[in-house]
Amino acid sequence: MASNQEATKTAATEHEPAPILQQMGIFAGVLFVSSLISPLFPKSFPVPTPVIGLILMYVLLASHIIKLYQVEKMADFLISLIAFLFVPSGIQMANSLNVFTDDGALTGVMLIVTIILATVILLVVIAYTTAGFMAISRKVFHKTTDIQ
Amino acid sequence: MTWVNFFGNALDPKVGGMAFFGIFLSLAVFLIGKYLFKISKGFFLFQPLFVGMVLGIFILWLMAKWFGVSLPTFYQSAYKPGGDIIFWFLNPATIAFAIPLYRRNDVVKKFWLEIILSLIVGMIISLFIIYYVSKLLGLDNTMIASMLSQAATTAIAMPISGAVGGIPAVTAMACIINAVLIYALADFLIKIFRLNSDPVGAGLGLGTAGHTVGSAKAVQLGSIQGAMASIAVVVISIVVDIVVPPFAHMMGLF
Repeated sequence: MASNQEATKTAATEHEPAPILQQMGIFAGVLFVSSLISPLFPKSFPVPTPVIGLILMYVLLASHIIKLYQVEKMADFLISLIAFLFVPSGIQMANSLNVFTDDGALTGVMLIVTIILATVILLVVIAYTTAGFMAISRKVFHKTTDIQ
Repeated sequence: MTWVNFFGNALDPKVGGMAFFGIFLSLAVFLIGKYLFKISKGFFLFQPLFVGMVLGIFILWLMAKWFGVSLPTFYQSAYKPGGDIIFWFLNPATIAFAIPLYRRNDVVKKFWLEIILSLIVGMIISLFIIYYVSKLLGLDNTMIASMLSQAATTAIAMPISGAVGGIPAVTAMACIINAVLIYALADFLIKIFRLNSDPVGAGLGLGTAGHTVGSAKAVQLGSIQGAMASIAVVVISIVVDIVVPPFAHMMGLF
């Protein structure tokens, strides 16, 4: 497993990163193909373009059709920008602040409190459930759960 | 006031027009946030994303007052054209998470069953807790229904929320607040709930609660956390697709 990790790392450092325009081209291509797949899902089971794109990109990497050095630089750059890219979504709330005040100030406050609690609940419950399943694998199925 | 046109013809409610103002404002408020975060030595309320959001809305509100139009109108005509361009880049940024995921493919191969089971079971437990907490806080059925699908990415959460009798706009708001909160409070929450001992769990939790922004945070914490948050973003969205409608039906929400 550790050697597997090293192998991936060396494969990435062996090559010079691909030219940035080529990396953009791969991203644009994956997104375009995903945008063609996305409408095929029924309305009651929506799967948006970026989710399909993430799966598609992962499959292409796992099947070695795309190599890490061809997309790595662009991906690291985009991930480092995420917080900034989310600013318009935050400011978008200016458009619908009325949902907090429509049913009276109390409901609005309770709504915000619920959202804050829900965030913490999701984080903690998922993390603890995972710890539980890891403990079951370790104790019942004697699987090692050590990872570096 | 012809110079109003510099802001994308703010007095015209028609959507479209100049994008320069929206892009400049987004960058300016975010950079101010970054500066405040730096000089306050990382005070959590000065997270660049949070400052950018609050300051951005405040500036738009001031300008809307100044021009004598409503805030939503001013937002639509002056900010949205530029904001939408930046927003579009969340598409490639989301698929970029396939790379940290693939880098730790060893962990994915070893624990794929635990990951999927944890996300499904964890989601169902969370739904029950969120349902009863909302009920306790006195929210009505429409609002409760709007709270259930917030773990999914916005593009899934909104239609599912509408389908189970909620208000999609409220759910979208919840998704945004999730992300901003997790980005600001992740370190604090991980510390007080001691989530650090299990990087797989911490990663899955961050990706679920904080969407792609939570994943970006997880990537900073470590390669395993980053990979797990990336997989959580995808799998939890599909889980929400499948689990939330029957749950809402069972609870008699629609």
